[in-house]
Amino acid sequence: MHLFLLGVSHRTAPVEVRERLDFATRGLDHALGALAARAAAAESVVVSTCNRAELYVACGNVRATREDLLAFLSDYHGLDRGSIEPHVYEMADGDAARHLFRVAAGLDSLVVGEPQILGQVKQAFATASTSRTLGPVMNRVFPWSFTVGKRVRTETALAEGAVSVSFAATALAHKIFGELKGRTVLVVGAGEMGKLTAQHLKAQGVDRVLIVSRTLAHATSLAAAIGGTPLPWQDLDGAIGEADIVISATGATLPVLTRPRIEGVMRGRRNRPIFIIDIALPRDVDPAVGDLEAVFLYNIDDLEGIVRENLSRRASEVERAEAIVGDEVRKFETWLTARHAIPTVVALRQRFDAIRRAELERLMPRLNGLPPEVRGRVDEITRLIVEKLLITPTEQLKSTPDPERVRTYADALTRVFALDAEDAPRPAGREEAAPFDSADSSEQRRTAGRDADSGKPVNP
Amino acid sequence: MYTILFLLYALAGGAYAWHFATRRASAGRTATTLLAAAALAHTFAIGMQTMAAGHVPIAGTTAAISTFVWLLALAYLYMEMTTEERALGVFIVPLLVALQVIPALNPVAERRIPVLESPWFGVHVASLLFAYASFALACVIGITYVLLFKEIKAKTLGFFYARLPSLDSLDAMNRRTVAVGWAFLTVGVMVGAIWAAQVRGGPVSDPRLQAMSLADPKMLGAFLIWGLYTFELYSRRLGWGGKRTAYLSAVGFLLILFNFVPIGYFLTRSHNFQ
Repeated sequence: MHLFLLGVSHRTAPVEVRERLDFATRGLDHALGALAARAAAAESVVVSTCNRAELYVACGNVRATREDLLAFLSDYHGLDRGSIEPHVYEMADGDAARHLFRVAAGLDSLVVGEPQILGQVKQAFATASTSRTLGPVMNRVFPWSFTVGKRVRTETALAEGAVSVSFAATALAHKIFGELKGRTVLVVGAGEMGKLTAQHLKAQGVDRVLIVSRTLAHATSLAAAIGGTPLPWQDLDGAIGEADIVISATGATLPVLTRPRIEGVMRGRRNRPIFIIDIALPRDVDPAVGDLEAVFLYNIDDLEGIVRENLSRRASEVERAEAIVGDEVRKFETWLTARHAIPTVVALRQRFDAIRRAELERLMPRLNGLPPEVRGRVDEITRLIVEKLLITPTEQLKSTPDPERVRTYADALTRVFALDAEDAPRPAGREEAAPFDSADSSEQRRTAGRDADSGKPVNP
Repeated sequence: MYTILFLLYALAGGAYAWHFATRRASAGRTATTLLAAAALAHTFAIGMQTMAAGHVPIAGTTAAISTFVWLLALAYLYMEMTTEERALGVFIVPLLVALQVIPALNPVAERRIPVLESPWFGVHVASLLFAYASFALACVIGITYVLLFKEIKAKTLGFFYARLPSLDSLDAMNRRTVAVGWAFLTVGVMVGAIWAAQVRGGPVSDPRLQAMSLADPKMLGAFLIWGLYTFELYSRRLGWGGKRTAYLSAVGFLLILFNFVPIGYFLTRSHNFQ
């Protein structure tokens, strides 16, 4: 069984292509259903965000699956295959796992380390789970990727520091005021930028938003939109006196918040700290205001500077994050390699069991004279002998980390025991084997069950 | 024994520095465990001395310093548990290590001094040591407040920005520790004054008793310290808060250290019970 991935992302496809390949609009479950109907893939998970559309499948034959997935993409979206193929990337086994781990860790995101992607991958997995398109490989690799994502976030600074202006402003507000609950925000000017930042702060727990604009009607409509209190322009000084955070975003050409003005207000505040965010261009706040004792003044350039710094700090963490991913990919590869041995192990067990049952049948006439519990005992003993004989080769085969050697061992076993031969001894008709029938079928089920979850203890 | 304690505190200090630099949770747990172990060993040591001397070892300046280190370690551990904030350990524990140097280099056995045979003595010293421990915390909190304040003000968000709690919570912690310290300081000074007045008229005569007046540097220092912290508490009503009270806390504790160590060893005539 192979892990195979085929998809497009912001790295390979422009937005026009990505939006046409989006699976989210019709629902992931719909896509999973359509994919399962084609039977190319034994297991499948579809990850679809605005930056990527990826099909993760477990399959026996990579080449055939690749063709089928490409055909599925063009059929499902009603697109010409030639228009998709140049943008598509594909990976198998360890490489596919590496890609998934990098995606979950936020390493493949447009903004490195962004937090949403892990949730989106988890959602994709949950949808596949309810659509019943999961199997042993997907059930292993996806939860593994969640662990990798978490490891990268806790062990590196990849996801640290705000990387957008409004997040940077909010983070600063938190560092100054702690909890924002019970704080007052004043928005000066009724423009779009002020609105966005105020909404952001409101989402962080600020309960009181005052809005002052030169045109009271603008303030009133913005106040209605975000749930604040509009105030007339002449109340500006009083509003600054009450506010903890001031967002200034007027269209004025000259500074609105001058130093004498803020100085006057600060006297009334008894030096209670105030955080002034000047996001207007040209600036609304006289830079000299920042020299006042309890004033923290940040303008749009300062905030963008913080964002740039955080981005470069994240970039410097990429190497450590990649090391974690590489580490986990190696563990995953060992597990996947062990799975390659499974068909051989199953065939070997079937062969041994077939021989055992054939022999029991041959001896049936003589055994028939025995009481039923003794016959049961004979069956039990022969089964245990076969088990014991198989334990060591099975363990050896499954714990070999090198895929080449696994293949060599599997080949050798296949030849030595002629596992692919058709004329192998088969058990005789079921009605004759009546005394051992129940033992036989339950044993087969047990073997199959054990093999299905035979993952080595490489627990992530 | 003091040397072992010193080494334990030094180890804990190293672990706090390691935690502060790397921000690894495992380093933080190690640091707390080491400090708790040091404080526990210290508790044991003080318990032994108490049994030997019949009272808690606080009579001599050296013993009092060691007891103070122990109290500060406990107070800090309590603060760490209640606030779940380990960032301040890197500032506090070095202070413990530095102070513990004195008893480690100069160990003295606790002696019984007749004039100190009074329950008032225990109350007097214990409340003052508690007060000093609180002020030490307030000082460290104040220093970190100023460091963070300057970083945010200068728009160079970096080391402290990533590691310290918010200005608001530092300010609240400062207010609380100063209030607690002030209460203990007031009780300690008042008990001392009343008790000194009582024993002076009593049967025991001791030259040190005659020196108990504001003219003695140690006692003058104590009143200055009390005045400073009273002003700090009052200044919050004037709307000071924040950076100014942070500076006051730092100055106040420097004064305490000066009064405790050099004055306690070399200058005072009233409080030399070595």
